Order: sequence, then structure tokens, then C-alpha cells
Amino acid sequence: MSGVGETVAKQVRVVRMSVEQPLWRALSGYRVLTMLYAIGLFASAYDEFDRPGIAIAFYVVLFVWTLATLPRVQSAVACTKRFLAVDLAIALTGIVLTPLAADDHHISGGGPTLPSIWTAGSVLAYAIKGGWRWAVFASTPVAVANLIERGSPARDTVHNVVLVWVASIAIGYVVEVARASERTLARALEIEATTRERERLARDIHDGVLQVLAMVQRRGAVLGGEAGELGRMAGEQEIALRTLVSGGLVPVSRISLDAAEGAVVRAVEVEVDEADDDGPVDLRSLLAPYAAAKVSFAEPGAPVPLPAPSAKELAAAVGAALDNVRRHAGEDARAWILVEDEPGEVVVTVRDDGPGIPEGRLAQAEGEGRLGVALSIRGRLRDLGGSAELVSIPGQGTEVELKVPKARGKAGTR
Amino acid sequence: MSEQQSPIRVMVVDDHPMWRDAVARDLAESGFDVVATAGDGEQAVRRAKAAAPDVLVLDLNLPQMPGVQVCKELVGANPALRVLVLSASGEHADVLEAVKSGATGYLLKSASTEELLDAVRRTAVGDPVFTPGLAGLVLGEYRRLASDPAPATDGDQPKAPQLTDRETEVLRLVAKGLSYKQIAERLVISHRTVQNHVQNTLGKLQLHNRVELVRYAIERGLDDA
Repeated sequence: MSGVGETVAKQVRVVRMSVEQPLWRALSGYRVLTMLYAIGLFASAYDEFDRPGIAIAFYVVLFVWTLATLPRVQSAVACTKRFLAVDLAIALTGIVLTPLAADDHHISGGGPTLPSIWTAGSVLAYAIKGGWRWAVFASTPVAVANLIERGSPARDTVHNVVLVWVASIAIGYVVEVARASERTLARALEIEATTRERERLARDIHDGVLQVLAMVQRRGAVLGGEAGELGRMAGEQEIALRTLVSGGLVPVSRISLDAAEGAVVRAVEVEVDEADDDGPVDLRSLLAPYAAAKVSFAEPGAPVPLPAPSAKELAAAVGAALDNVRRHAGEDARAWILVEDEPGEVVVTVRDDGPGIPEGRLAQAEGEGRLGVALSIRGRLRDLGGSAELVSIPGQGTEVELKVPKARGKAGTR
Repeated sequence: MSEQQSPIRVMVVDDHPMWRDAVARDLAESGFDVVATAGDGEQAVRRAKAAAPDVLVLDLNLPQMPGVQVCKELVGANPALRVLVLSASGEHADVLEAVKSGATGYLLKSASTEELLDAVRRTAVGDPVFTPGLAGLVLGEYRRLASDPAPATDGDQPKAPQLTDRETEVLRLVAKGLSYKQIAERLVISHRTVQNHVQNTLGKLQLHNRVELVRYAIERGLDDA
């Protein structure tokens, strides 16, 4: 079990990296580039500054801070609240310092603030760390500081403020959605892993139970009497359970996973009744329940897909044929079902080891309408575009061979 | 059958002590020489090499090493060894894999003691022991080999094995539960011929499997060089 737990944890970690890591990496790059851009802007507009000393001092702080805190913007864990607070404080200080460093012309002309677009990086860190609420919290003081810096709510300032606001909230929202779907995916992976583990455990347990049942049957047969009866019952249960276990012929709930859609997981609870439409079903899963102490079931070891209506009709025909065996060859008669998946058709043969029908008698019986069941089987198969052959060899029982062409309906090509 | 000269040496591999003992006792009481037993895969490989049995009665669901792997290793080391798979659950993939890698018989654990004894005797003389279920699987496997698109068929690629019409006919009759005797009657051939046909269906599958393995090994070897 612990092995599975580890696997899940590993998968989740991998997934988490894939969703969140690129954002943090982008943020690191953004912060360094915008820091250099802000310094470049200042250098190109050096003569617009009355007191360049203030600006230079600020840029030295900004330069050192941005590079020194690079490790802080590598992941959500490293990005502490204290770092975010100091970071935002530096951005706000830079904005408020702008009027002191630059001349009035620079301010009224809508020139950039000292940190310029570096500020957005600080707000984005809030958004990535905590979602859209944090983004609102961080972008509001930035908006206020911008308005103070400008002195009046000029149109371009308001425009920029709204831009920062909207962008940070949008990114915060996207991050939240990404996290939610990531959690869903992790949960789905977990469910899938536990399901697989449960199937494996079930298989082991079943194997043990099968062994014991087969053992009881075996000893019972030797001891005879009441024990023999017990053994016979154990044998019947053994066959039922083996049919259930082997190859999972009975449809099991499956989780189909699509990493991109968290909603797929919900299908696990919904499933249950499928196969009401024309979708292909595995014929084997419909025939496997017929296997019993006196009925052997041989199949090709791979799914035999047929359109649902054909498969159901075919299974019903096999059921009718088995009833017929019981009625005419007696309760003790054994029967064998063979499923063959030919390229163009599916062939199901039901054979019994009854006395068989002597040659000549078959046609006679058919003429007298005494082959009611056989004829109804034939009718069913004809409706499906297939055929039913009745072969009887004296001493070797009776065979009903049912053929259904595959090329009908949607599942035709294969 | 002439089993009177010297008793058939049998080894029983099963992780359930109850089963192992019961099978070994039944075999010993019927005159077989049970030379060894083993409870897990690795033990089975070690002891089989030391005890050199004629027939290995093998459960597929084993701890340490799966039964299929045991079969592969032991038959690979000693092709004369006969393996009879005795399985409770009959996992299709496992059974088919065991048969492809050298097992010549397959029986469900629910089979009666007489059936088991008969199966061991037949396995010892090289006569394949088929249940109808196994015949169905083998038929299915040939069908899959025939319909799978051959991977870029060049001249030197081994061709997928195919059944002759007669072999298919025989195998279908086995799958429908007819005994070899009944099949012989129906097809008007000798009992021995039926056996040969069944044996061939297995032989081709095992040969194909070996060729595939060798080809795979060569490809890997060339890649490494």
C-alpha cells in the first residue's frame, strides 16, 4: 500500500510543478527584465530629473533587491508574506519618490514612475501566490500611490491603474482555476491508483478463495456422501467466481482520465448503465455468465466487440440454445460454448453431449415443427443478417452454430 | 501408455501448502515419483534444477517470481522438461503466455483427481493437454497473429505462424469439448494424427515465440554495440 501512496505523491508533485512552476519562472524573468528596463528608462531621460541622486539611490536598492530576492520568486513556499510586503513597499516608495526626483514637466507629461512597470511584477507575485483577492489587495495601494504621484486623476493614469487592476485580478483568477483543476487531477490519479490496487488485491484474494473452493470440491468428490454435495456446491461457486475474476469479463467501473478536464472524474459516480445505445459491447461479458459446472465457455482471450443490439440478440440465442440442451438432453448433459472472432463475422457454437438427433430425423422433426426453439433461434439470427446451423452427429451430441456478420452497424470496420 | 518401467518424476509448485500437499499426495499414491515441491517462484527454479523432474506441475500465481517466468527459465534451461499448468483463476493472458513459453498442458484446479493424473501422464509423454478454454485462447491468438499488421514486412522477418485448415478444424473441435477419440471419429483420422495436429498448433506458437525473442535480443544487441 505504501508503494502506491508514494506513487500518487510523486505524480501529484510532478503535476504541481507543471502547472505552477512556469508562472513563477516567468515572474522571475519579468522582475529582472523590468528592473533593467526601469533603469534604462531613467538613463534615457536623465535630464528630466531635478534630483537624480534620489533616483540613483532608489535604483541601487531596486537592483540589489531584485537580484537578491530571485530565490523568493521560485515557488509559492519561498514567496513569503514578509517578502511580498517589503516588495510592495519598495514599489510604492518608488512611485511616491518620483515627484521628488523628477521635474514637474516629467510628472505632468505622464512620464513613467521610478519603478515603472516593475511594480506590476510585485502585484503579480501577490496574484500567483494567493489568487485574485490577494491581487485586489496589492493593486489597490499601487493605484492610490499612482494617483498621489500624479497629483490629479488624469485620464492616462486612471487608464494604467485600471489595467494593472484588471490584469492582476485576471491572472490571480487563472491561477486559482489552475490550482483547482490540478487538485482535481491529483484526486483522479489517486482514485485511479487505489482502484488499480483494489483490483490487484481482489485478484489475490479471489485466487485464494478459488483455491479453497476447488479444494473443497476435490476432497468432497473423494469423500462422497454429504461431503460430496458440499463439494459440488463449492464447485459451482468456484466457476461463478472464476468467471467473474478471469479477464474481468463482467464490466467493471472504469475511470477514464483526461488531464485537461477535471470533470471527467465525476463520471466515476455516474456510469452504471451503459450499452443502451448502439455502442459496441464485448460479447464475452454477455456470455460469460452462462458458464457453469456443466457449461464450459471458450473465448479468444480478447474483447469481441459487437453492436449492443446484435450482442444482446446473440446472447439471448445462446441462452435459448442452452435451455434447449437442458430440455432435450437432460439436466446432466454437458455443454460447451465457443466464441470465435473471425475477420468478417462472429461465430458462437453451442454443443452438448446429449444423444444427438439421428440423420433424417432432423429434417423430419423440422417438418413437424418440433424444433421450435431451434427455429426461433434461426429467426433471431436471420434478423441480424446472420445464420444458425444445427448439426447433429450421433454419439457426439448436437451443435448449434450461430454466425453474425460484423460489417453491420457502426462497429463495422474492425 | 507404458509408464511401468520407471515412475514419472514430478515436481509440484504451488504457494498454497494445502494444495501442494494434496496434489503431491495424489500423485505419489498413484505411483508417480514426487521428487520435489516448491512454494514460490525462485525456490521452484532452484529446486527444479537440482531435482531434474520430468514433469513440472505449476501454479501460475506465485510469490517472488510469477509462474510464467518460472516456466520460461526452466524450459529455456532444459527443453526436455514438460510443464503442466494447474491454475485456479485461469487468467487468460498468463495462461497463453505460459503456453507460448513452453508449457504443453493446462488444467483448472477444479479438475478431478483422475483428470489431473491423466493430464500428468499425458504431459510426461509429450501429449499436449488442452481444455476447451485453452483451445479457444489458442485459436484467438492465431487469429490475432494473422490480423495484426506485420511490422514492416521485409524478407527476413519471420512470418506469423498460421494454422492449416485441418489444424483449425481440430482445435475448434477441442474447444467445443470433443475428446481426441471423438475428433478422430468425426474427421476419420487416427487418434495419433489428432494428437499431432494439436501438438503442432502449440509447437508453431512456441517456435514463433522463440524466434521473436531471438530477434528481439539481436535487435537489442545491435543497438548496444
